[in-house]
Amino acid sequence: MTRLILPVLILFACCLAAWSPLDRTGDQPTIPCVVDPDPPVYYQVKLVTTRKVRGARLAKGFGDVTYAASPFGVSISKTGTYVYNIDIQMSNLKLDEGMSLVAWVTTPQIDQINALGRLDENLMIKGQTDWNKFLLVITLEPAAGELGPKWRGPVVSRGMSRSGLMHTMAGHGPFETEPCAVYGY
Amino acid sequence: MLSRILVLLLIATPALAQDGAMDHSAHMNMSAGDSLSWRMPPMDMSMPMLPSLMRNVPIVGPLLPGHGMDPGMFPKAKPSAIINMADGDTLRMDASLVRRTIGDQEYVMMAYGGMYPGPLIRADRGSKVIIEFTNNIEMPTTVHWHGLRLDNAFDGVPGVTQDPILTGETFTYELKFPDTGMYWYHPHMREDVQQDLGLYGNMLVDPAEEGFYSPANREVPLVLDDILVDANGLLPFGQSAPTHALMGRFGNVMLLNGITDYELDVQQGEVVRFYLTNVANTRTFNVVFGGARIKVVAGDVSKFEREQFVSSVVIAPAERYIVDVYFEDEGDHPITNTIQAINHFRGIFVPETHLLGMVNVSKESVAEQFGASFLRERIHEDIKADIDAFRPHFDRSPDHSLRLTLKVNKLPLAMMRMMEIDTLYVPPMEWNDAMPMMNWLSSGEQVNWILRDEDTGKESMEINWQWKVGDKVKIRIFNDPKSFHPMNHPFHVHGQRFLVTHMDGVPSQNMAWKDTAIVPVGSTMDILVDVTNPGTWMAHCHIAEHLHAGMMLSFTVSE
Repeated sequence: MTRLILPVLILFACCLAAWSPLDRTGDQPTIPCVVDPDPPVYYQVKLVTTRKVRGARLAKGFGDVTYAASPFGVSISKTGTYVYNIDIQMSNLKLDEGMSLVAWVTTPQIDQINALGRLDENLMIKGQTDWNKFLLVITLEPAAGELGPKWRGPVVSRGMSRSGLMHTMAGHGPFETEPCAVYGY
Repeated sequence: MLSRILVLLLIATPALAQDGAMDHSAHMNMSAGDSLSWRMPPMDMSMPMLPSLMRNVPIVGPLLPGHGMDPGMFPKAKPSAIINMADGDTLRMDASLVRRTIGDQEYVMMAYGGMYPGPLIRADRGSKVIIEFTNNIEMPTTVHWHGLRLDNAFDGVPGVTQDPILTGETFTYELKFPDTGMYWYHPHMREDVQQDLGLYGNMLVDPAEEGFYSPANREVPLVLDDILVDANGLLPFGQSAPTHALMGRFGNVMLLNGITDYELDVQQGEVVRFYLTNVANTRTFNVVFGGARIKVVAGDVSKFEREQFVSSVVIAPAERYIVDVYFEDEGDHPITNTIQAINHFRGIFVPETHLLGMVNVSKESVAEQFGASFLRERIHEDIKADIDAFRPHFDRSPDHSLRLTLKVNKLPLAMMRMMEIDTLYVPPMEWNDAMPMMNWLSSGEQVNWILRDEDTGKESMEINWQWKVGDKVKIRIFNDPKSFHPMNHPFHVHGQRFLVTHMDGVPSQNMAWKDTAIVPVGSTMDILVDVTNPGTWMAHCHIAEHLHAGMMLSFTVSE
């Protein structure tokens, strides 16, 4: 009986892969389309655990980035920055009694910090930012009480916006003869 | 391996960085004598250039209509005028070479009816008019009546709905106006040249109903554009194919209604209804009216479901928006394009503000005050009711899925390697030409922009979808961020109207009927097309250079 399970599963998977609600035309091989679009994977912020917090050393998480509601499709501020909704989802961790996870968004220089708030019982929270480059920081804080202007507890996970990867070319590759200092780095 | 070493040797020594914008009009063999030759585009030289790239010119020959001719030979173009047309009226209009002064330079450019922008055709919803169009420019052309749900034979697409109109020939267009709003007309042949040189104009369709819009003190059309010039005049275009095929031809001089010093005098407390049209080849604008409050009223083909306050107006090529702006405070209110440009070399965002014009608000208060009405966000029940019939289709599986991507060939090796290095971050939108030299060097013969049907594998003009009148067709459009050079694309559908129902899976909260909508990099946009108009039509990217580099498909609607 168990020997039959694998072939049956493969057959089932093949049937699923071949199914499509769409009429197909043309001679070329068909490619199944995505049915439910996700937020852009390219701009998703991966949250990487610091491995420093008990119960959260193997934590996983991400922040989905989509445009804030706008009649123009893309949401742009008066200064030209993107206005993003951020949906944070954490998993694979266990909190001590009386503790909670808090999400923060900060500039790469950490000179400006905004609290997005405490994650709910599903370890999720939604927020918004209009910074060009930003970091998402998840910290462990007491479950009760006011949040201060900056985190006090240990950092559980953190991640950087895709735009944060943009880095000076001075001193690199074909521009290795260009000293960074000339450009203020 | 050997090729990589050779390439590294080739590109290893960058030229010294220089500060400030640089005019390369006298570069190398790029002299500005009588014979037309390439001139390197003006650019911000804060980024060091690779010498191997500095020696390159586009592989296509240069083209500049009117080059070498005395501008004095041509009539001076006039500012746009409104032509009110009643049902059944005929307008005779041509396209011709004209003389224009922009800033302190004189140019030979093109104009419809000798005007910049072309005549504003104003008509009532439901009316029909005739345009007898004559081509008096030195290139074949056609006229596309953008956004109109007109008869297919008059859509102005060469090789699909009509033959090109050769120099000296006349073609008679019959226009009908089923939808209230602002529309525009432009060539559908070498738009990168003809449209950029001034061939564009508006059509304003007035509502049949009283109180269709909230009250306003005045109506003002604003046509947004940019042109690429240096000390010797307009930068040549590509002859056999467009240059700037990767990102489109960004201009370095901003134009509002065809001029650089647009001004509008209003009284304190006025509510001004602006009709915005973006006719630029590739630039998306983020328009701000100083400190004045803005309320968006309508999009391309209809009002929004509700009026909505916004802090700026994001408008991609070919889109139109109708906005009310309330000038409560006296003083100057600059109209600006306010963006975050990208400096790839430094890896930073750079705030930029381009002055487009100025609204001067006087001390005198306007007699008729509409401020109270402006401050309310009116619900447009007529539009909501119109859209209601389409809502059951919003969440179903798409009928077609498109992937936006590109292929390149024979681009300079140094350029290919540079672009491979610079892949850590691709912005959702290109607000500026962040790589002017490389962009200029890419021609339509080396870049193939692609609309790929994910269900059949067919690409661009291999696609001819078959629809019927009455169909409601859902199209999912994914702008692939992993392609060689991703970029935002304003997607335009001819002859029909559509709704943007979702962006990245998030339902739209306030819709208007559209004919053009922007697909940012990495995003998935769902549109629902209301199929009402029989014929064979096009859908394409409205960046002129992308269109000519292949980014178009066709669909046929049967009765």
